[in-house]
Amino acid sequence: MSASVGALRHHFEDIEQQRGAERLGMWMFLATEILFFGGAFLAYTVYRLMYPKDFAAISGQLNVLIAGINTVLLLTSSLTMTLAIRAAQYGHNGPLRFYLGVSILLGSAFMGFKAYEYAQDYHEGLVPWTSNFGQETLHGDSQPLIKKWEADGVAPQRVRLFMSFYFILTGIHGVHLVVGIGVISYLWVRAYLKTLTPDKYVAVEVTSLYWHLVDAIWLFLMPLLYLAGPHHSLHF
Amino acid sequence: MILQSTIMPEQASEMAWHVDNLIWFITGVCGVVGLGVYVAMLVFCIQYRRPDDRIGPAPTPRILGSHKLELIWSVIPLFIFLGFFAWGAYVYNMALHPPEDAPEIYVVGKQWMWKVQYPGGQRVILGQNALTFADDVGGAGYFEGLMVLPVGRPVKIVTTSEDVIHDFGVPAFRQKIDVVPGRYTTTWYLPTKTGTYDVFCDQYCGTNHSLMVGKLVVVEPAEYDAWLAGTWRPGPANRDKTGVDGSLAHQGRQLFMKLNCIGCHNVQNSKAPVLEEIYGTRRPLKGGTSVVADDNYLRESIRRPREKVREGWEPIMPHFDAAKASEEDLIKVIAYIKSLKKGDTPKRNEDTPAPVGAETEPKAGPTSAGEGKQ
Amino acid sequence: MSAVIDPTTNHYENTPPEAGPKSYLSDGYSIWSWLFTVDHKRIGVLYLVMLLIFFAVGGFLAGLIRLNLIQPSGSILENDQYNRVFTGHGVIMLFLFLIPAVPGVMGNFFVPIMVGAKDMAFPKLNIGSWYVWMIGAVFMVWAVLAGGIDTGWTLYPPYSTRSAHTNVVTGVFGAFITGFSSIMTGLNILVTIHRMRAPGMTWGRLPLFVWAMYATSLIQLLATPVLAMALMLLMVENGSQALGMPIGIFDPALDGDPVLFQHLFWFYSHPAVYIMILPGMGIISEIITCFSRKNIFGYTAVAWSSVGIAIVGFLVWAHHMFVAGISYYAALLFSLLSMLVAVPSAIKVFNWVSTLYRGAISFQAPMIFALGFIVLFNVGGLTGLYLATLGSDIHLHDTYFIVAHFHFVMVGGMVLAFLGGLHFWWPKMFGVMYSDFWSRMAAVLIIVGYALTFMPQFWLGYHGMPRRYPNYPADMQFLNVMSSAGYTVQLAGFLLIGTYLALSLFLGKKAGPNPWAATGLEWAVQSPPTTHNFEATPRVVCGPYEYSLNLTQTGETADVR
Repeated sequence: MSASVGALRHHFEDIEQQRGAERLGMWMFLATEILFFGGAFLAYTVYRLMYPKDFAAISGQLNVLIAGINTVLLLTSSLTMTLAIRAAQYGHNGPLRFYLGVSILLGSAFMGFKAYEYAQDYHEGLVPWTSNFGQETLHGDSQPLIKKWEADGVAPQRVRLFMSFYFILTGIHGVHLVVGIGVISYLWVRAYLKTLTPDKYVAVEVTSLYWHLVDAIWLFLMPLLYLAGPHHSLHF
Repeated sequence: MILQSTIMPEQASEMAWHVDNLIWFITGVCGVVGLGVYVAMLVFCIQYRRPDDRIGPAPTPRILGSHKLELIWSVIPLFIFLGFFAWGAYVYNMALHPPEDAPEIYVVGKQWMWKVQYPGGQRVILGQNALTFADDVGGAGYFEGLMVLPVGRPVKIVTTSEDVIHDFGVPAFRQKIDVVPGRYTTTWYLPTKTGTYDVFCDQYCGTNHSLMVGKLVVVEPAEYDAWLAGTWRPGPANRDKTGVDGSLAHQGRQLFMKLNCIGCHNVQNSKAPVLEEIYGTRRPLKGGTSVVADDNYLRESIRRPREKVREGWEPIMPHFDAAKASEEDLIKVIAYIKSLKKGDTPKRNEDTPAPVGAETEPKAGPTSAGEGKQ
Repeated sequence: MSAVIDPTTNHYENTPPEAGPKSYLSDGYSIWSWLFTVDHKRIGVLYLVMLLIFFAVGGFLAGLIRLNLIQPSGSILENDQYNRVFTGHGVIMLFLFLIPAVPGVMGNFFVPIMVGAKDMAFPKLNIGSWYVWMIGAVFMVWAVLAGGIDTGWTLYPPYSTRSAHTNVVTGVFGAFITGFSSIMTGLNILVTIHRMRAPGMTWGRLPLFVWAMYATSLIQLLATPVLAMALMLLMVENGSQALGMPIGIFDPALDGDPVLFQHLFWFYSHPAVYIMILPGMGIISEIITCFSRKNIFGYTAVAWSSVGIAIVGFLVWAHHMFVAGISYYAALLFSLLSMLVAVPSAIKVFNWVSTLYRGAISFQAPMIFALGFIVLFNVGGLTGLYLATLGSDIHLHDTYFIVAHFHFVMVGGMVLAFLGGLHFWWPKMFGVMYSDFWSRMAAVLIIVGYALTFMPQFWLGYHGMPRRYPNYPADMQFLNVMSSAGYTVQLAGFLLIGTYLALSLFLGKKAGPNPWAATGLEWAVQSPPTTHNFEATPRVVCGPYEYSLNLTQTGETADVR
């Protein structure tokens, strides 16, 4: 196919070899990401097993409603990315731009809610290295967090440990998400400029694989962090 | 200058004998195998060398391999290595499991010294050396503080750190144990030979890691008992680095009253379990699990009491962090709890406690009787 | 094709170079053509230049260590300075030399050619890996210049997060970044081997160097991310100290667990030592076969043993922690698994020695390095058994026995293999030949000097001399001085190598495509290779070591060309 010539790089023998290499390369990269997050999950799990009461107590303070909304957003964006692959393969440029665009919007909405949630954590005195850590009184409580912890036998140091893991894990995940949004945006621009032709659809496929991994990591991260303890109030 | 004991370092404990046997066995086997490889290489290199060191094609047989040989030299080494593993596990098992009734000596590591506390209350500080090894020619005990151990009697060493990870290592005993902050680690020795031996810190811990060293001296049982009784001290170079203040358990009792543990852990009006004879027993906890009351559990119960609450009691005990009770304080209180027998819990308002399980009352400092010989 | 070595006289011939296609070296002379290259061969040379510089720095620091240890009370350095010197030596030698060396130079240069490809699967990722490595190196060098770090390369907390008053975050960040370079290189090599083999190049016909690089790349890919996370957590904890609200991820005073760091750290760092040694083992297979003119004895065993080492190597990390306070049952498990990982290495040694049997052996420099590797790696590997055995490890842990053991495998093993490979492939990479006499002399000097430096250290360790000590008991001085003397002999060897290799670039006789009469695909192309390696896709007809049949992998005779 003459259209393939544009996509074929000089050091590959044929387009199938190139596509095979690109897919394999992305799967291998995803393996490294799993091990990277795996290290953090392991450390978190060790501490969760050592300090179940403290972790349960603080996990219950996190905003599980936002986490739930974010989960739905991310799952939907994985769907739209998969549909984008098919649009790219068939050369349907309009749907391609639509699906890529929706994925970008959903991912950005996720980050928007996350930013809101981080701000809320700050105002609630849950950010470990700030001066108001534990000093705030949350809705439904009669005393500030630090007194509540004292009464329940929860150690502030362990709360700080949990919140550190929370910010590290969600923060690194967020960075990965932003990078993903960047790459999808780049694809959208190429689709807009009509340079993302069907023979180059693998670019959409490997990006989609990456996006699915970011989604999958969230699916593990969210229950580990947010569902480690009972939530007494559901609020926005 | 050649090493004093050129073939082997001094073998001064029972474990040392076991470890050395293992090491020399491995050396023998590996020596034979290694030598075999070298001999084969030498023979082949000489017998099959090319004249004139030529480069280029040469008529050689096309030997691809031999399944039989591969099997032989996979399986035989595997069994040899498994043999090493088994013997090593046996020795390690011995090293990790001290005899039940071995008395305990506590060692607290801190940058850059060792604080050794005997059950009888003697304190020795190793390390904190202004001098270096080069000045210790002949091992005459320039080091301030000598740790004393009895020959022929097992002794358990319980260690913790006040800051970073250290390691208490005695080459002559072929033993070492990492000293970790936040927990107790233990090892044990059965010294078999009198003499003076090196103690090293074997885990890098900062600037003066190499100065965190000392000497330990193994003496006859009679001298050791005199040491515990406070009537004998080794060597002249002790100054105020050693002291005797009453047994650990006695000091622990004083702390038990001073920190007001007695306020709840008493018999008359208890808001907390009575602690008589609890060490080593299994304690049921709230929530259905249970735990053995060992050193680490007792330590955790003081530092973080609401973590594992005894069944039938409320989580009301305040926690004692490093500011309220240092590692050395904890050692004393725990020694006291371990020594508590039925009926020994003091009364709430007792204000002049008699020593419980102690052997001596506090003596005066280094000027007291008995500057013993080395 | 110009003949380089006259087989009848065995002397190097001086024949004029022929006009031919441009080599990769002459394909653009500007600095930009080098810094923006995507040619895997140029990238290999870029790695080589920087590696030699870092090796020199690390070697200089080693010299300071040995010089200091001439006297029991430390001769030239204060304790604090010594601590920074040995940390710098470890960090630079490991992250800036041993881990990137063979993958970055010979892996990059030769894996594509050996499988019959025109380049790596992802050329831009390749040059990216060099830049990422350089950025990481900049941070590490910055940390050293700003006063160094004094935690030891193992970075154990709480010391590294509390008391270390030095540039821990900068240095650790540098290591973190170089890790990504390692992952990128590994990924590239794996995809290249999987997808870009030439027709006829089946898995069973791959050179053993390629098998070794495959196994190495598996480890680079999968182990490095765990180190990245361990270092990231360490940096967060360190940073929180600076912010004044310390979080104790590994600090027991704040409810953290310092042993958790050790697990995360060693989960990478044990497989990392296999990243260092496996490529070297691959090189030895290439050299031994060529210089004994025989097929490798037990190709399948050697190939699979590389993969076996890579896989089992992931399961043994806590053998670095036998006295750290792990449970008895954990210790049993890790000791048992460590015994398993020793078996494939033994298999390799037996196979290499068997390859010599009934061969036609010549002793040019690459072969001296390879034989030296077997001699020294043998000791290194066997002494590892003392450390995998629980009972003996208690006594030998954290003493000079360990220092001797790992230097035997890393220097006596890996560095010798690197030098052997460099000498074997130098004519291919640069199209010139170096002095035969001086190269053999240098090889012997290094081997002898090395043994002198590190054999005494086994004794010192058995007698209890701890590692990381700037001073030691006076009765251990003799062996320490002997060890330091060995350093000077090695230094002479290395300086010699640097000299004649550099001189060869300007004055060396031109080399033809196949000066060693070897059989691999890399010897079928010109020296130095053209930018695209092969003009036409090669067809592979046989295995990589058919010396006995006098057959190269493309079906020609394996003559000197």
